[in-house]
Amino acid sequence: MADLALDVTRLVFTYRRTTDDGVQPFTLRVHELDLQRGEQVLLTAASGTGKTTLLNLIAGIIDPDEGTVRVAGKTMHAAFGAERDSLRGRSIGMIFQTFHLLTGFSAIENVMAALLMTGVPEREHRGRAKALLDRLGIARIDGRIEEMSTGQQQRVAVARALVCEPALVLADEPTASLDPENAMGAMDLIQQVCKEKNAALLCVSHDPSMPMRFERKATLASLAVTGVLTGAVSGAGLGAGLGAGVGTGTGIGGTR
Amino acid sequence: MNDFTIVLRSLRARWFSTVTTIITVAVAVALIIVLLTLRNSGKRSFERGAGDMHLLVSGEASSTVAVLNNIFYANPPRRPLMWDRFEQLQQQAPWQYAIPTAIGDSFRAFPVVATTPEFFSSFKPAPGEAWAFASGKAFGGDFEVVLGSAVARRTGLKIGNTLYLTHGWSKASQGLRTDGDVDNATHHVGTHDEHADHEAHGEHEEHADSEGGEGPGGTHIHREFGFKVVGVLAPTLTSHDRALFCSLQSSWIMHAQDRREAQAKGEVERTTPEQLIAEDKKITAALLRLLSREENSAPANLPQVFDQLRRDGTLTVANPSQEIGNLFSIIDQVNRVFLAIAVVVLVSSGISIMLALYNSMEQRRRQIAVLRVLGASQGRIFNLTLVECAIIGLAGAIVGVVLAFVGASLASGVVRQRFGLIIEPDIGPTIIIVLLAATTVLACVSGLVPAIMAYQTSVARNLRPAA
Repeated sequence: MADLALDVTRLVFTYRRTTDDGVQPFTLRVHELDLQRGEQVLLTAASGTGKTTLLNLIAGIIDPDEGTVRVAGKTMHAAFGAERDSLRGRSIGMIFQTFHLLTGFSAIENVMAALLMTGVPEREHRGRAKALLDRLGIARIDGRIEEMSTGQQQRVAVARALVCEPALVLADEPTASLDPENAMGAMDLIQQVCKEKNAALLCVSHDPSMPMRFERKATLASLAVTGVLTGAVSGAGLGAGLGAGVGTGTGIGGTR
Repeated sequence: MNDFTIVLRSLRARWFSTVTTIITVAVAVALIIVLLTLRNSGKRSFERGAGDMHLLVSGEASSTVAVLNNIFYANPPRRPLMWDRFEQLQQQAPWQYAIPTAIGDSFRAFPVVATTPEFFSSFKPAPGEAWAFASGKAFGGDFEVVLGSAVARRTGLKIGNTLYLTHGWSKASQGLRTDGDVDNATHHVGTHDEHADHEAHGEHEEHADSEGGEGPGGTHIHREFGFKVVGVLAPTLTSHDRALFCSLQSSWIMHAQDRREAQAKGEVERTTPEQLIAEDKKITAALLRLLSREENSAPANLPQVFDQLRRDGTLTVANPSQEIGNLFSIIDQVNRVFLAIAVVVLVSSGISIMLALYNSMEQRRRQIAVLRVLGASQGRIFNLTLVECAIIGLAGAIVGVVLAFVGASLASGVVRQRFGLIIEPDIGPTIIIVLLAATTVLACVSGLVPAIMAYQTSVARNLRPAA
């Protein structure tokens, strides 16, 4: 269990979701989800079916109605306030579709900001950030982030997610803003660096080219039903699972 | 990289809003400082200028006008006293000193005070501070002149120079050189009243034709009596710094020359002291100090002497300290209004800080959400926002202090030019520290609403791609 990066058990979260038929209650269920350190899992589902909500639950940004989330052995929702924020900062790295980099800051400052929030000694900040940016091929580390290309920004975002050497990296549609060629390169990089840093990767995407990159895959529907990630799930199976989850409109894996 | 860097980057990202807000705060702070310091230094300057005299006696219409004209040289006094009345005055009380002065003429629009050597030996321009000479000495005889520090600075005159005086003075031309007023012309010191008399009888034009020329503003320069500069006073930070001083007899001789030429309807030989008649011997004020054991306190008999002198309807008796107090009690009412306005401006600048941050909050929410994801607590975000406000407030206050120095210097120049008062900007460290602290606290209070908004920012909502 020492290498368990993520352990989600019987997670239930109901929220109000806007659909074509108006605002309706929606229940997200995850029976069980485990990731070992270094393990990489792709979670697929259609847009608006709760993928990002699940990531927010795992990151402790929102609280579930039921269930537990353990990250690196710590129960996320047992901690409150600054303690939970600190746990998130130390244990989880997040990569977003639109990168969410801090404008007005340089590349290295964006990376150092992550270290600043997690109590890493200040004297180590620049060295660690620079080493990782060098590894990711960012030469102009003091260049302002908004003056960088999309590909460079993506790499800075990856560096920021991994600089604290988290147990878990959550990637939310990390290639959605990139063209296919850059998307491939970005995913290569994310997966490779996560391996190097021994971080578990939970990647959420509905990009059809993604499943072939991951040995372990799941849909939200399959998590709700089976709850166990034990190997490859076929593309057809994914599609079926998604169809069922979205089509019911009452939640994935049944109503609450 | 630390929290301060994050705050600075945030301020830089909204530089226009940051700069304009800082300027708003700075203007309010500067306004408050200028008002406070000019008020304090103005009052101090007034109090210093009255020196250690207890009473001022003149023929002016009111005691306030008497003080303003005879001590602060606001305008030429208009009602002279005769010398024999002054001699009577000397016998009326146990004076420590009774010093006559005659004011009315000028040099390059700086007032000339004709007086006795006691003016320098007995009268102190500020309580406890005797006159000091930057160079030279007090006048010892006739047609010698001592320059106030500002006069020496503005005119560039030095010991040994000879200058020529002008009837009346035109403040608009203060400091401006007039052809022939140094080294090669003739001058008169006299009361403004006499000058008016000359003009009324057409004598002014005669002098101009026969001896002199026109000075600034149509004033008349007499080129019969040159005055040699024998001393330059050290700065006193009083109105006396912008005056020149010569002997009373010099003034009388010059005016006697006018009288004699008017009577002879032509040029006459140079007037001697022996040719002076009672009519020539006029003064415009007497500076009086009673014998007193303690230098800085009024003697017990001052009220009685004051009342005794006031019984003579031809005299206006003023207690300078009291007049200055009365003057400032009036000015204080206006000052309070200005101060209230300045405080309102400061409060409104606090509101502008709040609005600037409030309006930028939509842009900032995503950044706040990102910092939260990176591990920043809500409390830390709250503090970062408050620090941002505090920096705006502090920066505004610092800029305001600098502006105040510049503004007060400009204002003191205007006051010196327009009213003849020397008011040096004096911004004490206490005022600066209090204002810096108060402005910073006000800025933090103004930042509470944006800080609470930042604290409550929803991370999940603001990390959506659309956000």
